[in-house]
Amino acid sequence: MISLYRPGDSLLHRLPAGPKLLVVMALALGVSLAPADPWTLTGAALAVAACYLLAGLGAVEIARQAYKLRWLVLVMVVSQVFFLPALTMAANVVRVVVVILLANLVTLTTRTEQVVDAIERALTPLRRLGVNPSRVALMLSMTITTIPVIAGFATQIREAQRARGVPAAPLAFVVPLLIMALKHSDDLADALTARGID
Amino acid sequence: MDGSRRFETRDMTRIVAFAAILAVLGIPGAIPIGGSVPITAQTLGVMLAGAVLGAWRGAAAVVIFLVLVLAGLPLLSGGRGGAGVFAGPSAGYLIGWIFGAFVVGAIVRVGGRPPVWWRTAVGCFVGGALVVYAIGIPVQSAVTGLGLWETITTSAAFLPGDLLKVVAATVITMALWRAYPRAFGNPTRLRRAAS
Repeated sequence: MISLYRPGDSLLHRLPAGPKLLVVMALALGVSLAPADPWTLTGAALAVAACYLLAGLGAVEIARQAYKLRWLVLVMVVSQVFFLPALTMAANVVRVVVVILLANLVTLTTRTEQVVDAIERALTPLRRLGVNPSRVALMLSMTITTIPVIAGFATQIREAQRARGVPAAPLAFVVPLLIMALKHSDDLADALTARGID
Repeated sequence: MDGSRRFETRDMTRIVAFAAILAVLGIPGAIPIGGSVPITAQTLGVMLAGAVLGAWRGAAAVVIFLVLVLAGLPLLSGGRGGAGVFAGPSAGYLIGWIFGAFVVGAIVRVGGRPPVWWRTAVGCFVGGALVVYAIGIPVQSAVTGLGLWETITTSAAFLPGDLLKVVAATVITMALWRAYPRAFGNPTRLRRAAS
């Protein structure tokens, strides 16, 4: 599983995941509610760019992240150009791009495991409602290891059907995939029970 | 099976399996589709999670999947992922998937009953389409700054694809019920609920 994380040793990499997510959520909300004023939004965009540089990600990474948003920008422009004045539309587009780049900064500087750990800790108060944080963490890590297994089933089914000359059809593909995945999950349950995780 | 919120080991691994299926359905070309119907198969996965696992476990599978997306795995269709997708215009649709899967399960498996085709079709439409729109469209409107009514108009383009997915989810659920009834839970308890 290839994560979107970029290894590094900057201040942003070293910050704990939970507080980092909370700060970015607050900042994102601030930008979303900011007035459609060109100066404020330019300032926000420059601040986010500065954070990328601080994280050691450089202009190329900023450009790459922004380029990923090209379809989103296109769709926003096409859907708004007839309804809204040009300045409001531009402000909306910039605001969304800035917020997404800011949120992606967390992903680029935080390991998947760190986020999973932060979520496990954040769930601790929910223990009283019957949520077991360590079980949730177990399910998250089991899912990460199960995805390649089920992707393997998908390849297996596709190749078997191609060999028999079955025409491509979602039904003939998804039903065996579900059965194989559910049988695998029952095996996994037996293995867990055998190891005393119950 | 009885709608209880405490998950047994077998429930846990089924939730895991469906969270992983949601991820696999997002791999480009994972589902071979005849012709050029634009289907994002992940909404189909949301409907199936609710219909097969039931309300609570179906919603849990979607939550697990979305937490991994938030944690930085590129599992959404098109290789998208990370915290950014929860800040963008489609954030509401993703959160809507959780409630959508719950409603699909609540309708299809009402009282722990096994699926019948008409309840599956209604459940997938209400949960997988209406509930997802009801949460997704206002959020999209708020994020993009486009009015609510204009957003509804532009979202109407997805309705034909979603109707196709409702049909596909119904056919797949009923085929799975005939081929592998164990998928829907304890056989004796199902028989009791059906009678």
